[in-house]
Amino acid sequence: MGSGSLAIGAEDVAVLRPPEDGGGPAGAGVAARARRALRTVLADRKLAVPMIVLALMVLFAIFGPIVWDRNPDAQNLLGSLESPSLAHPLGTDQLGRDVLARVADGARISLLVASLVTIAGGLVGGLIGLLAGTIGGASDGVVMRLMDAILAFPPLILAMAVTVGLGVGLDTAAVGVSLVSVPWYARLLRSEALRIRSLPFIEAAHAMGATRGRIIARHVVPHMLPVLFIQMAAAFGYAVLALAALSFVGLGAQVPTPEWGAMITEGSTYSLTGQWWISICPGVALLITVTAVSMLSDRLRDLLDPRGQYARL
Amino acid sequence: MARVIGLRLLGSIGAVLGATILAFVIMRLLPGNPARLILGPLATQHAVNSLSQQIGLGRPIYVQYWRYISDFFQGNWGYSYSDGETVKKLIVERAPATIELALFSFVLAMLSAVALALLATYSHRPITDRIVRGASYIGFGTPPFFLALLLLIFFFKTFHLLPGPEGRLGVQAIPPPEVTGLYTVDALLAGQLHTFWEAVEHLILPSLALGISSWSFLVRLLRANLLEVSREPFITVARGKGLRRWTAFRRHALPNAFLPTLTAGGLVLGEFLAGSVLIERVFNWPGVGSLVFEAIIKQDYAIVQTFILLSAVLFVLVNLIVDLLYAVIDPRVRIPSVATA
Repeated sequence: MGSGSLAIGAEDVAVLRPPEDGGGPAGAGVAARARRALRTVLADRKLAVPMIVLALMVLFAIFGPIVWDRNPDAQNLLGSLESPSLAHPLGTDQLGRDVLARVADGARISLLVASLVTIAGGLVGGLIGLLAGTIGGASDGVVMRLMDAILAFPPLILAMAVTVGLGVGLDTAAVGVSLVSVPWYARLLRSEALRIRSLPFIEAAHAMGATRGRIIARHVVPHMLPVLFIQMAAAFGYAVLALAALSFVGLGAQVPTPEWGAMITEGSTYSLTGQWWISICPGVALLITVTAVSMLSDRLRDLLDPRGQYARL
Repeated sequence: MARVIGLRLLGSIGAVLGATILAFVIMRLLPGNPARLILGPLATQHAVNSLSQQIGLGRPIYVQYWRYISDFFQGNWGYSYSDGETVKKLIVERAPATIELALFSFVLAMLSAVALALLATYSHRPITDRIVRGASYIGFGTPPFFLALLLLIFFFKTFHLLPGPEGRLGVQAIPPPEVTGLYTVDALLAGQLHTFWEAVEHLILPSLALGISSWSFLVRLLRANLLEVSREPFITVARGKGLRRWTAFRRHALPNAFLPTLTAGGLVLGEFLAGSVLIERVFNWPGVGSLVFEAIIKQDYAIVQTFILLSAVLFVLVNLIVDLLYAVIDPRVRIPSVATA
């Protein structure tokens, strides 16, 4: 992997680059740029493989339930615990529900809820970090002590506590996992904001008479975005895993929601009597998703942060 | 040095205080009467009233908070309504099983992580490095509770190599006379080799499942550290002075690569605390994790609440110890200007 491809790689994650001031050459170049971006992604195997896997998973989540048009909750007790066949490619569970339909529906739930969790955590944590890093003062101290309090818990256990406190369910589990992730962003972006604030171009903008709001919005925020996106990619994988774990202990998605973690619990008693497919299929889907996300986030970090200075999850 | 320790100690106390406030707020968010929730649906009104009195419901919020933390730190953790026992007794009873599992899991994870990281970096073969890295990614993506099932299906159901989900010993086995509560140690102390092997056999699968995420993290960390350290000038010097490559690696690179893994101590403990809740139940392991799992299902809040606070205190404590150890071992941390740079 030479330095040339590294630069192209960073260029290629065009969304992660700060938007250029004043629009730039738009319109005509978009298609060409998209094609070039696609080519460079495909040339970088460490980036392409997880991206393709994730894209397939997203396609599966979107079109799976449409193409495989079975009701994931329809019970058929006469056809329960059937091993995989043409009628049921992934078999049926203890209530005769089609496992493929449930895994596909579970993909929608997992990806959607994990995305919401990531966006919520990123927004709240990012804002906290930005404000603490740019405004500072007493609010910085108070907010960062709150972040320390959150970090005093092992993450999954605090998420469990929140779910127990707010009442069991997928929505409260999502709140718990988001809350846990807030300090990761806040700490990272605070130090990033502090770093950027001390760079010469901020001083220049200040000397040219830019207001503090303008400096933050036009100069500090765009430079923080790469860090934010790296962290969000890593946190997305964690969110998928944590939501499944909470559902596995019965704190997240409730019966009969076809959430992957909940499905693994439901099928676990049958795994040792020979009906492995009920738990293994959602588990493999979970494994593929989280592995691909963590490979992707690692690669993104390597590309956007060659010096490896940002905190690792 | 004293100043560093003092500051760090203050920080930890602050973190524990913050954590108790947070836990208090979260637990008081519960809809309904906390006393009713703690005592369960079958408790008499009289019992609910007396507990309300005891935890100070209706008194000012800071009084309630004070009761909450003073009870916790004095070890008055209340009663489990589903069991009728004190929470303290239940947790103390179950702790050795979890501690034994966690220790075994940690040793297994650490040893295999060191071996694999060495294999990946020392051999200079890209293919081994790639396999090790790939394995660590997959390990990272594997939920422990899913791995637990996979292990049971392969090693127990299909190949009958290791015992199934029957807890710490076989059904008919008699536990060794209790000294430490760790069956392996107690069996050795009593000279019961057979029981020792049985306990070890029962430990293998659960500790693999429990250690998977820490393992993959340690592999990655150690590998990266080893690569970095092996490029340092002092390795070249050691080689230039005539040391063989392996000796230079073992004596100079490994110890230095180990140091940063200390900081992973807190992370590993966090994984184990949460992981025990996830996987102990799968193996019918009679530890604290399965106690909490059952308490969650039975909505036995006294147990859940205590476990949450205990984890926070342990977590902060381990992080503190790690930081202090680090300062003792690595003098650079002690100089503030370097530490903050």
